[in-house]
Amino acid sequence: MTPAIAVLLAQAPLPTLLVIGLAILFGTIGAKIFQKLHIPQVVGYIAIGVAVGQSGLGVISKEVVGNLEPFCFFALGIIGFMIGGELHRDVFKKYGRQFIAILFAEGIGAFLTVSILISGVGMLLGMGPAESIALGIVFGSIASATAPAATTSVLWELKTRGVLTTAIFAVIALDDALALIMFSIAASIAGKIIHSGSGGIMAALGHAGYELFGAAVLGIAVGFILNFVLRRLRDRDKSLAFIIGAMALVIGLTMALDLSMILAAMALGVTLANLAPRRSRETFNLVERFTPPIYVLFFVIVGARLHIQNMQPWMWILVVPYLVGMGSGKIIGAYLGARWTNAAPVIRKYLGICLFSQAGVAVGLSLIADKEFHDTIGPIIIAIIAAATFIAEIIGPPCVKFAVKKAGEVGLNVTEEDLMLSYNAGDMLDRELPSFAENTTLTNILRTIAETDAMSYPVTDADGKLTGIITIDELKRTFVAEGLTDWLLAFDLMRPVPDTVTVQTPLDEAVTRMREQELEYLPVIAAEGDTHLAGMLELAAVNRSLSREVLRRQQLADG
Amino acid sequence: MKVSDYLTLEHVVLLTGTTKADALDELVSTADDFSKSISIEELRHAVWEREKMMSTGIGQGLGIPHVRLPGLPNAAMAVGVSRAGIADYESLDNQPVHIIVLIAAPQGKHEIYIRLLAKVANVLKQDDVRKAIAEAGEPAEVYRILNEGKV
Repeated sequence: MTPAIAVLLAQAPLPTLLVIGLAILFGTIGAKIFQKLHIPQVVGYIAIGVAVGQSGLGVISKEVVGNLEPFCFFALGIIGFMIGGELHRDVFKKYGRQFIAILFAEGIGAFLTVSILISGVGMLLGMGPAESIALGIVFGSIASATAPAATTSVLWELKTRGVLTTAIFAVIALDDALALIMFSIAASIAGKIIHSGSGGIMAALGHAGYELFGAAVLGIAVGFILNFVLRRLRDRDKSLAFIIGAMALVIGLTMALDLSMILAAMALGVTLANLAPRRSRETFNLVERFTPPIYVLFFVIVGARLHIQNMQPWMWILVVPYLVGMGSGKIIGAYLGARWTNAAPVIRKYLGICLFSQAGVAVGLSLIADKEFHDTIGPIIIAIIAAATFIAEIIGPPCVKFAVKKAGEVGLNVTEEDLMLSYNAGDMLDRELPSFAENTTLTNILRTIAETDAMSYPVTDADGKLTGIITIDELKRTFVAEGLTDWLLAFDLMRPVPDTVTVQTPLDEAVTRMREQELEYLPVIAAEGDTHLAGMLELAAVNRSLSREVLRRQQLADG
Repeated sequence: MKVSDYLTLEHVVLLTGTTKADALDELVSTADDFSKSISIEELRHAVWEREKMMSTGIGQGLGIPHVRLPGLPNAAMAVGVSRAGIADYESLDNQPVHIIVLIAAPQGKHEIYIRLLAKVANVLKQDDVRKAIAEAGEPAEVYRILNEGKV
């Protein structure tokens, strides 16, 4: 280790900005490595966080994590906002009843299985029946929560689209609200059972209602105001400033008023998406472009704050039933809910395993539980939820990936820009396009092009090397001279080759070069330094192909 | 479009050479003032490159060598008349060539290039115009007929 680095690391804690820089840098590298291993990027971010955080090297200390807390809230707000943007009125109209039924079924499923398993194991570990049941129902209610961040991160990474994707968005959007209500009820009952905690069920429910209803009202109100402002703003930069400002305002207010943060951000997203469906698309695109470093940092911090050294070995005995109960409860619940409402087979089969991720809400609820039952079951809940979320965060994303892949929804939510990134010039070129020898007469050129619909044609020399281009524009001008057609040659009409790309050139680079030079076409050669023609790339034809492919994938996704 | 916009009297010659090579060489030599940036050699080379692809003898005693050159500022013409005719010009109709019109245009001025070629071809399509030019005794006479487009 060089002295400079040693000095830097000896500083405790590291400057926050340095941590941010390092976290984004190494998080991105970690994600790339995991992506190569076909594991969702989000696991890479979290793994890097674990490695440098409190469970690992300790570079990101508890203090730094504390400093970055507002930032994490903001990131969660953005995630909530983006999920809200996926929930359009027509989705609710079409699937509302179905998704609500599935939501209750998977939430209650997780609650029941976890409650039973934890209570049973608690009794086996020698806890009293009352304490075991109290522990069981509190854990059960926490188990019904699903972390939207890691789940949606996988959906966005894999560009998924389809009925399963829609169901995931809808269920995880509402899942936390359900968890909050169930927890309020469970905590009150547990309090009654073990004569601990404060207040009755009604008071607890009242508070949950305030948290949820208040958040929804706040998000909707700010959504209306933001929509009003955005309608009058043409400048993109200013729009982005307003959106980010509105989001920070909503998140800040939820903290000040003790409301559900993620629900308020979601309500803001839903309101915008439904007030102006078309215009808001641009708004969400703007925010989306702004988010990658925020996501990286957020998930690295999620990993860094996971703290598992203090776990007593026996506590792991409770982690296993919690995770097994949560997983099986959600799978069975989602399956039953989907069956009762005749949901699509992919929802029945795969929705449950997309709901394993747990993070913020689960940890938050465990903190409340600790406060309520500090002298009894509180500390156990905190430790076990910390360990369980650690595992759930790692196994959740690969499960989502598996499910959406099996459901055939990967890569169906693409734009033309996304597609462009996945193609090379060679994939889109017109190989059948006729090319003309330099000494082809105009008569023969006109005869040949009458049978094609291209707008430009390559001209090659005797060795097949590209020497020029003839465009329809040039040919149009020859119409003034009918007597020339027998003795004007391709050589006389061609224009110099403006630029070339190889078959290996990425399509987006080729298209950028065409746009920059205002070209409608670009000749494609076999390889760098080899001027043998492979074909022509025509901007109009590329755009047509991309639009067709996007439409095909959308139709495939929407059934 | 007027021929006089692109042709001056100095670029009209009565050819003495009787072979294609001599005739084209003579004609190209008159074009030494087409552009400061383009040498006679470059012009000659370009003309012969084009001839190699296909003869510009388009029949009816006409040869229209035409080239596009990147450094040329404006389109320009030179006209050579051979009363004896140039038998080895390899015309489309295998007849000797009596009138050679050299057209040089800048690379980017495609429209002017094509229109100029069309204009020349249209004027010389007329039998009496071709005959009068081929029999003209003076370059000035050739120049006048070409400009007026009639005898």
